[in-house]
Amino acid sequence: MILTRKKTLMMWEKLPFSNDIERYWQLLSVLVPQNLNTRYRGSFLGVYWSLLNPIIMTTLYTVIFGTTFASYFGDSIINYMFAAFTGLLVINFYNSATTQALSSIVINGDLLNKIKLPLPVFPLSMIAANIFQFIVGSLPLLIIVTLIKTHNILFVFSLLLPFSALVLVCTGIGLFLSALFVFFRDLGYFYEIATFIVWITSPVFYPSEIVPARVQPFLYLNPLVPIIESLRQISLDGTFPEFSHLMKGFLSGIVILTLGCLFFRKVQSSFMDLL
Amino acid sequence: MDQEVIRLNNVSLWRRTQEEFSYDLKRTVISFLQGKYIKPAKKQVLKDVNFVVKSGEKIGIIGSNGAGKSTLLKVICGILDPTFGTVRVRGNIAPLIELGAGFNMEMSVKDNIILYGVLLGYSKEEMKTRTNEILEFAELEEYGEVPVKALSSGMKARLGFSVATDVKPDILILDEVLSVGDAKFTHKSRERIQSLWEQSSTILFVSHSLEYVKDLCDRCIWLNHGEIAYHGNTQEAIKLYLDSVGVKEYIRPPSAL
Repeated sequence: MILTRKKTLMMWEKLPFSNDIERYWQLLSVLVPQNLNTRYRGSFLGVYWSLLNPIIMTTLYTVIFGTTFASYFGDSIINYMFAAFTGLLVINFYNSATTQALSSIVINGDLLNKIKLPLPVFPLSMIAANIFQFIVGSLPLLIIVTLIKTHNILFVFSLLLPFSALVLVCTGIGLFLSALFVFFRDLGYFYEIATFIVWITSPVFYPSEIVPARVQPFLYLNPLVPIIESLRQISLDGTFPEFSHLMKGFLSGIVILTLGCLFFRKVQSSFMDLL
Repeated sequence: MDQEVIRLNNVSLWRRTQEEFSYDLKRTVISFLQGKYIKPAKKQVLKDVNFVVKSGEKIGIIGSNGAGKSTLLKVICGILDPTFGTVRVRGNIAPLIELGAGFNMEMSVKDNIILYGVLLGYSKEEMKTRTNEILEFAELEEYGEVPVKALSSGMKARLGFSVATDVKPDILILDEVLSVGDAKFTHKSRERIQSLWEQSSTILFVSHSLEYVKDLCDRCIWLNHGEIAYHGNTQEAIKLYLDSVGVKEYIRPPSAL
């Protein structure tokens, strides 16, 4: 029993693929609770603290911009509020997942110098912890909004489509950042600027219609834009999301994930010299 | 019994020297723009290392600080990949490591045991069944649900030792001797090391305590600046090593295994 386990550790590349997955699964099953535990100090209710931020922000946006922008949302402040809320959930997920993934390899440097572990498991565990947090914390609220707006359980399930695209995007960026952070420890400052750009170019608190037509195509370079749009179409309009939005979301997700993986694989051999 | 368990063929390792590396995106970009970017220098830490370990051998690795002893062990464990050459390991290999500082302070003792067990390569289910044994050995049965931050430093050390040594490997890797705790536990920990020593058929032992190496190892490798300077008889290796550093006779340090 012990023997077989240890072989997975040592003869990593020689064993079939299924053992790799098994090992990743085992590692994630201890690392994810550890991440959540550290963040919430052991209280399960702590997960709900993560909702405090989007709720306060939504309230502020609604109070400040609500009356001005309501005309773009069928003259309804409530609609504006829901739109801001869905956008914020996406942006918050993106920010916390990628920012936590950024430092994940470096903070485990000591451990990696003592035990042979698959390197990608650390950024992945951060993404997984955020997925768990989203499912427990934000998703129920999103489901309630969807049910209120659409009265159709089918739309609840289709929420998973833009969300999986979001996970792909975050995983790719998380892998890329965690690898780059090993080399450049001041990356955090630059990434703060990058997250601000992502946030301001996502139509979270403003309707995308107010952006000049010439600039609008550039907004779609932001991979989160089509994801937010399709999430809103499902939960607020109660329509099946526009195929082109979904496609753009998934396409950018797959491209970013592939690039992130390739970059990670290319540079991971030099990690241990710098940890 | 004569089976080969470890084989290193022409293993060389080049590592980036950390001092020269800036770790700084801003500076790297600026130096790129000024055309002053220099590719980070690499240093050879292991040179053409060749050796074979057969099942049942107990091998000592000696050499001065920075000779590459721990690096060599990391290459064997698979933590570092050799730049050139190949490393082959058959069977499960367990490094005895110091976990003391690595515990997650907020999590309970039990959860930490499971966490480290899984990191070391055991399954979660298996660790659950072994948790009690480990707690018992560490004499922390009443502390299972307590967060690690509530333990005294001695208790943490005991816990670290108990998790790290609760292994039954084919190949045991010992980097210096681990011994922790109060008088009673020190005795216990020595016994555990002793029994590990007897159980594991193959052992790689890095130590500056040449006396133990002399007593315990059948064969010895003397590493000097990343190269194998001598490989063979333990007495001879120790003598050559001491000669090279200009020490006439080895003085036994004031502790014992």
